[in-house]
Amino acid sequence: MGWAADTLLLVGVLDYRGVSKRFGQHRALEGVSLEVTPGEVFGLLGPNGAGKTTLIRIGLDILRADEGEVSLFGAAPNPKTLDRTAYLPEERGVYRRAKVRELLAYLGRLKGLKRVAARTAADHWLERVGLSRVADQRVESLSKGMTQKVQIAACLMTDPELCVLDEPFSGLDPVNLALVTELIEERRRSGQTTVLSTHMMHQVEALCDRVALIHRGKLVVYGQLDEIRQRYSPNEVIVWSAMDLLAFGVQATQHKTGGWRVELPPSATPAAYLNELVRNGLLIDRYEPLVARMDEIFVSLVGGGR
Amino acid sequence: MRVQRIAAVARFELLSVVKRWSYLIATFGLPVFLAVVSGTVLGAQTYFLTQRAAESSQFGLVDEAGVVDAEVFEEREGERVWTANANEVFLYENRDAATTDLESGRLRAVYVVEKEYLSSGEVRAIQSEKTPLLSMRGTTIEPLLRSLLRKSLVEGRLDSDVQERVISPAYFVRSRLGPDGEQVTDVDEALDLLVRTTIPLFLGILLLTALLSASGYLVQTVSTDKESKIVEVLLSSVTPEEILAGKLFGLGAAGLVQFAVWSSMVVFVALTASAALAAVVSIPWQALAVAPLFFILGYLFLGSLMLATAALGANAAESQKLTMGWAMLAILPLMVLVILLDEPNGILGQVMTWIPFTSPLTVIIRLAVDSSGIAWWEVIGAMVVLVVSTWASIRVGARLFRVGFLLTGSMPSLAELWRQAR
Repeated sequence: MGWAADTLLLVGVLDYRGVSKRFGQHRALEGVSLEVTPGEVFGLLGPNGAGKTTLIRIGLDILRADEGEVSLFGAAPNPKTLDRTAYLPEERGVYRRAKVRELLAYLGRLKGLKRVAARTAADHWLERVGLSRVADQRVESLSKGMTQKVQIAACLMTDPELCVLDEPFSGLDPVNLALVTELIEERRRSGQTTVLSTHMMHQVEALCDRVALIHRGKLVVYGQLDEIRQRYSPNEVIVWSAMDLLAFGVQATQHKTGGWRVELPPSATPAAYLNELVRNGLLIDRYEPLVARMDEIFVSLVGGGR
Repeated sequence: MRVQRIAAVARFELLSVVKRWSYLIATFGLPVFLAVVSGTVLGAQTYFLTQRAAESSQFGLVDEAGVVDAEVFEEREGERVWTANANEVFLYENRDAATTDLESGRLRAVYVVEKEYLSSGEVRAIQSEKTPLLSMRGTTIEPLLRSLLRKSLVEGRLDSDVQERVISPAYFVRSRLGPDGEQVTDVDEALDLLVRTTIPLFLGILLLTALLSASGYLVQTVSTDKESKIVEVLLSSVTPEEILAGKLFGLGAAGLVQFAVWSSMVVFVALTASAALAAVVSIPWQALAVAPLFFILGYLFLGSLMLATAALGANAAESQKLTMGWAMLAILPLMVLVILLDEPNGILGQVMTWIPFTSPLTVIIRLAVDSSGIAWWEVIGAMVVLVVSTWASIRVGARLFRVGFLLTGSMPSLAELWRQAR
């Protein structure tokens, strides 16, 4: 029983194995392999046209891969597994002439909810995103931000085990951005999986457990977010001290935060170097290893060829 | 395919269309409009006929040649009057007296049988300035006067039966040679042709209009889905086949309701005309009975092709251009309608019965014009061909639909389409 449970845990929610896809002469994806594990928030990153949307579409059986295999909840994507997923595409659309509640109920029905359940879920989620008052208005009468919240509600209304959100934060004001962030956090707390494709790197840092960076159809970086940031960080620390580090013979430059930026010797670790500074009599107010931000990693990996 | 999802799509599409003003106006407004127009025309016609009937129908006759048989005139208040078909003809001794009554408005016209009538045949018709020429010609007085003159000329000079035939040389009894032998019809040939062809023509045009209208809605809905970018949301929940089937059924139901309303109008008009023309209008019940079936099959066949090709267009205008070819094929029977109405069971009609694009309209027209000329196996055969073609077009259509639905920008090559549709 324990073995079975372990095996189940190891099965990715969404697995890609050597997936390739081309459109005419253009190779959109080339041998991409990655896995989204249960309960995590997975960041799918990459510049525009990198192949992220194609990868998502293949995972959700909207497109078929030319080569490779895709597994959704341990099986090839099929209507049953797709009912356990929801998708908010980047180029999201709505029936503008439909009424808000009717539209949500219809999209819920398409996901397999019964008529009454679909209406109940529509009302509940409109309440959640603060749009109950416009339930009987036509979608065309809503603002862009409100329309986007309707789309997010439509995506989450079936409580999907896997939710793929493509640029869910674009066009949202800070209040609604916080609301959507909270909804994603809530999904993680309840053990539901979310794939997040976004260019907002601070959101990636705040929300994602693991990330994959796609560039020109190829997987460039893939793994734990912290580990990746560490991997791409310079071997540098920032030292805040009232004393002049240069007087101690330390090769340091002033950092914009008011501290000293120090490049560590190749073999030194931040902890060992801190010990050495203290031993040398330096009074340190604050000490922090410099960790690369995701936007820096992004630019350094994909910026060169653009 | 999941029936509930198809039903959800169908219901949504049906409600989206039937709530539109354009649909309601086309479906219910058209019959009302036609009823109002025809009612107005008939009403106006009846009014003017009544008015005319109320006008004087009295005529004067001056027999200067002395040939008219005065026996037919009867004495009434010092005048000699011949009454025929609600017309009264007063016999005057001279032209002046008649002209005076014409000027006073008592008479609509005065006919003078000229002195040299026997040699010239001349009868002068004099009408007042008040009497429009057209209304004169519209009366039946002149044929009656002709008969009176003919009778007067032969009276006592021939045997009575010969005399009768000189007056009325022929009474045409019309009949038609059909499979059950010769059948007498009491209908005038021109009226018969009109009656035989008008109802089928209307039925055919309505079938085609409803077919193209429903297919038009299909093209529109695909364009809306593509332009509104909701395609991916739909495709992440339901398969392209389910979307295609849902749209086909939902909008087909809207088209069927439209066709049913319009067909009822045809039946109503036929029944009304039948009553008005003394039961000479036959309602093509056989055609009406199979029409819904042919509408459904024709719609599913044409609709699935329309949906698939419409999905390849980047916008509504492009989708309409792409689907125009199918519409042209469907209206082919209308282009050769004259031949079909004249020879419904000729070689052209027979061939077009077996072509799925043209069979719905052709079968309906053939059944409506002359149901005896089309064999039952032809009707069944046409249905079978349509069912098979519909099955194939839905299969191919669904694949193209999947590819086309996601296409943006320029059209891919046929080879690329084929590769992606596999």
